[in-house]
Amino acid sequence: MDIDGDMEGSSKRVQVRFVTKLQAPLKVPTTSIAVPSNLTRFGLSTIVNNLIESKNPDWEAEPFDFLIDGELVRMSLEQFLLAKGITAEKILEIEYIKAVAPRKEEDPSPHNDWVSAIDGSSPGYILTGSYDNLGRVWKGSGVCTHILDGHSDAVTSVSIISPEGAGSVTVATGSKDRTLRLWKFDVEEAINHPLKIRAFKILRGHKASVQSVAAQASRKMVCSGSWDCTINLWQTNSSDTEGGLVSTKKRKVNDQVDEQLEGEAVSTLVGHTQCVSSVVWPEIESIYSASWDHSIRRWDAETGKDLSDIFCGKVLNCLDVGGEGSSLIAAGGSDPVLRIWDPRKPGTSAPVFQFASHTSWISACKWHEKSWFHLLSASYDGKLMLWDLRTAWPLSIIESHNGKVLCADWWKGDSVISGGEDSNLCISSGIYVQ
Amino acid sequence: MKNQKDMKTKSVETALNSEEPKEQKPQQQEVESNSDSSYEVFSGDDSSEDVGSSEESDSAESGSSGDEDFVNEGDSDGLENSGREDDGSEISDAHEGVEESDSSEDEVAPRNTVGDVPLIWYKDEPHIGYDIKGKKLKKKEKEDALGSFLSRVDDSNNWRKIYDEYNDEEVELKKDEIRLIRRLLKGKAPHPDFDPYAPYVDWFKYEDAKHPLSNAPEPKRRFIPSKWESKKVVEYIRAIRKGWIKFDKPKEEPHFSLLWADDSGLTEKANHLAYIPAPKPKLPGHDESYNPSPEYIPTQEEISSYQLLNEEDRPKFIPRSFTTLRSITTYENAFKDCFERCLDLYLCPRVRKKRLNIDPDSLLPKLPSRKDLKPYPVTCYIEYRGHKDAVTSISTEASGQWIASGSTDGTVRIWEIETGRCLRNWEVGEAVHSVAWNPSSEHPILAVSLGPDVLLLNTGLGNEEQQTKVKELLHVETPTATHESGERTSIVSWLRDDKYEGIRLRHFKTVSSVEWHRKGDYFSTVMPAGESRAIHIHRLSEKFSQRLPFKLHGLPVSSTFHPTRSHFFIATKKTIRVYDLLGERKLIKKLDTGFREVSSMAVHPAGDNLIVGSKEGKMCWFDTDLSSAPYKVLRCHPKDITNVAFHRSYPLFASCSDDCTAYIFHGMVYSDLNQNPLIVPLEILRGHTSSNGRGVLDCKFHPRQPWLFTAGADSVIRLHCH
Repeated sequence: MDIDGDMEGSSKRVQVRFVTKLQAPLKVPTTSIAVPSNLTRFGLSTIVNNLIESKNPDWEAEPFDFLIDGELVRMSLEQFLLAKGITAEKILEIEYIKAVAPRKEEDPSPHNDWVSAIDGSSPGYILTGSYDNLGRVWKGSGVCTHILDGHSDAVTSVSIISPEGAGSVTVATGSKDRTLRLWKFDVEEAINHPLKIRAFKILRGHKASVQSVAAQASRKMVCSGSWDCTINLWQTNSSDTEGGLVSTKKRKVNDQVDEQLEGEAVSTLVGHTQCVSSVVWPEIESIYSASWDHSIRRWDAETGKDLSDIFCGKVLNCLDVGGEGSSLIAAGGSDPVLRIWDPRKPGTSAPVFQFASHTSWISACKWHEKSWFHLLSASYDGKLMLWDLRTAWPLSIIESHNGKVLCADWWKGDSVISGGEDSNLCISSGIYVQ
Repeated sequence: MKNQKDMKTKSVETALNSEEPKEQKPQQQEVESNSDSSYEVFSGDDSSEDVGSSEESDSAESGSSGDEDFVNEGDSDGLENSGREDDGSEISDAHEGVEESDSSEDEVAPRNTVGDVPLIWYKDEPHIGYDIKGKKLKKKEKEDALGSFLSRVDDSNNWRKIYDEYNDEEVELKKDEIRLIRRLLKGKAPHPDFDPYAPYVDWFKYEDAKHPLSNAPEPKRRFIPSKWESKKVVEYIRAIRKGWIKFDKPKEEPHFSLLWADDSGLTEKANHLAYIPAPKPKLPGHDESYNPSPEYIPTQEEISSYQLLNEEDRPKFIPRSFTTLRSITTYENAFKDCFERCLDLYLCPRVRKKRLNIDPDSLLPKLPSRKDLKPYPVTCYIEYRGHKDAVTSISTEASGQWIASGSTDGTVRIWEIETGRCLRNWEVGEAVHSVAWNPSSEHPILAVSLGPDVLLLNTGLGNEEQQTKVKELLHVETPTATHESGERTSIVSWLRDDKYEGIRLRHFKTVSSVEWHRKGDYFSTVMPAGESRAIHIHRLSEKFSQRLPFKLHGLPVSSTFHPTRSHFFIATKKTIRVYDLLGERKLIKKLDTGFREVSSMAVHPAGDNLIVGSKEGKMCWFDTDLSSAPYKVLRCHPKDITNVAFHRSYPLFASCSDDCTAYIFHGMVYSDLNQNPLIVPLEILRGHTSSNGRGVLDCKFHPRQPWLFTAGADSVIRLHCH
């Protein structure tokens, strides 16, 4: 077929068959072909591109990634087969997928100060928090629609509670001024300049800086971790009648009566001995938290009981739950290693995966929503890395930031958004993750 | 044979005395003649002649002697001899024979006319002496050599002839004389009749004699072993055992030394242990031969390749072939080689060096592995940049969220530890000596010393309640301050500082350091130039200052409160003194550092141990319970130690120095008083760059994590994590 003269008889050949789950134009005939065994990922990619091009002449070459037995090929075929002990006698089935790498770097969206928090869980907009005490809503690169004004200190974390309300969305922000604020705004409003909005509810109760905010899946509650070593649970509803409401203040701002509610914590989870640096609330019943006391804890949201502990030995800064069955725990902290635990494994607290390509503290880690294998990590060394559980090497390294990366998230399933010390929100798009 | 014979003779002897010897003689002679067979060549026909009877030979002998006295005697002996077999007579007979033969040469009294004169005197004379009348005794005319030779050859009896020098005559030996000589030569008794193995005949008979000489019974001593003998034996045994008597001396082997042997084994024999013999020069081999085999002779290429070699590697001698020995030229290097050999022999120090064979690793104390002592700071991940000049002092907040730093660029900054962000920045306009965060988490107050002032700053952290409290605390009525300053007791004035919303304590001299009490109400300041009023203790809640009521011995360097008790540590240049502030108010302990200049001090959180850093780069650990001398002195920095620090909860301590490094140590203090503290060096933290000859100026541990902050003269603060 298209295997050219450079594949001489001197090198060994392997019978391979390319299979894929990709859609029609990317499919290649499933006939087996012999390829030299010293081919690497690049060589395989060329072959697949050539195969596609033979059917579809105006095809543009594209990098692919190759899976053999559920493992990404990161060396030459021969070495791979040797290392995995796979026989080369049979026809080798190689699955190819689109390479997970950003194909487009969008213009950075500047902030006034360091971007400390980001949330991209809604496909329509991006929510960021910054050290200039403001939260911002971005419709895309460089298009800021709303400014959330009200905190008296740096915003440390943001979380989208209900991504698509009827005309309005609810978000929560936590700040170093020891409060959380809940905001409501309408994304669909077509505005030319950013609109400043005020919080509809202020949640007070933490004795020290709020470090992390996470919303419950049912959107009725948020939880927050703080430097006072506690996790507080809060009601998010705005109505006066329901619980958590204490007082109503009427303020006259800009000749307009603005209602600001104040809320108190519904319950407090006490157990951590140091700053709770990260909380996630993936399921209604359980909350995961990571702390500077080197532990990851799972809490029962109803009873407030500590269900399980994982001790890491290092200060933890970020935490996310996802992956296979949404049960793998990824966390990073005061060392360059991104660790992944599987809490379903009984009797062990050793991480199942360790990714150590960063050179400084890890500030953020996020699982891809859909994929079981993909996650991203951000580090103080200024790099974002995309990881696949099926290989120990990073899939790609994004170096869009100049200085520390403080926060990062997936957006729309195919983009990576991040904010950092250079006060920019960077969007790297065109990442195909199945 | 002989024994049997003896037995026979014994049995017979009593019966027949006369016949017995006759039987014996022929037997013996036969034996003799058999034994003589080897002499047959000499004796010639003589041996064929049978030997005559002994009487005959004796008589003939005596006859030949010719001397009358002797003849008589000899005759009588001979007669007697024939008559009996007495041993004694035979001995005398043999003796006589010997005398006779001697007399013929030495004492020929009647015939010797010469006298007992050495004949050599007459060697060249024609005479050989004088006779009794004084006439010369002429020597006989000697035959000329040829004639004598011929006559000797002709004469078959010539071998029997002996020249008698004294009488100057030739004597012909007779047969029996020759036989006698032969017997003598063989070492036998001269007389053939003498039987050395003759049976002993005891003439005296005890039992059967009718008239015994003595009728006394055999005495007892004949039957019992001799006591004296056994004593003697014991004596000998003792002597042998004690080594007084030695026998069988081992034969001394002749000592030869191999001239060309290797001398290396000789050292054991030499008395000097350190003696090493000089190496022998190399022996000449085939290639030094004047005409070596062609394979020894290098080709021209090889010779030229020698030139390329190093001088020392080049061969000293190039073999050449000469046709003859004559054509060998002189060896041009002969003198040089000799000289070098001599130099080597007397200049080379051949001394055996005594080396202690000790494994240096075994001398090191057994320390636990560093891996087991984790966690401790290892790598630097975060740098806090922003200061324009050397950062002189840092202090961490109690919760571990913030860190404050003071710099010589006149700013005080607060940083967020987690991100490295500078939170606040006060322009105080003067070089900051020291910053200290109030250890109480309720009072987020920062004490800053700059010049003669100490500023108490409200950091603005903490919740509203804390803020109002702090504001209350930091509120000073201006008139009060003036009033206070007017008082005699106070040397420190508490002034309100409107610019920074804090309190300014004005001292009369430069304040070098500020240190808080653990409860956050008291703090102490040190003015090194303040002499007797150098150290003050201030109380924040009452806005009251107090001079330390103790006499200071030397220049104070730093001061600290005891972490649990009401003790106060003062470090002067050479010593550390511990005072009790409450109760008896007196000196409790004096610790002698032995350093020239103490630079810093830190107290273990348990309070019984402290570390002191000095400007010589040494650090010492004091166990105050143990002694007033340092428990351990650690010499690690090549330059001044600028600061030392203990971790609050982990068993770690650190020192930082002007050599741009910080050392991390494991310092475990056991609650068991019998166990000494365990000190293990763990890590050297580098990364700071030197600036104006200064390196790391301050180090502080994170209050909760095993992290170390170091402040450098390069205006950077670094965080080292585990």
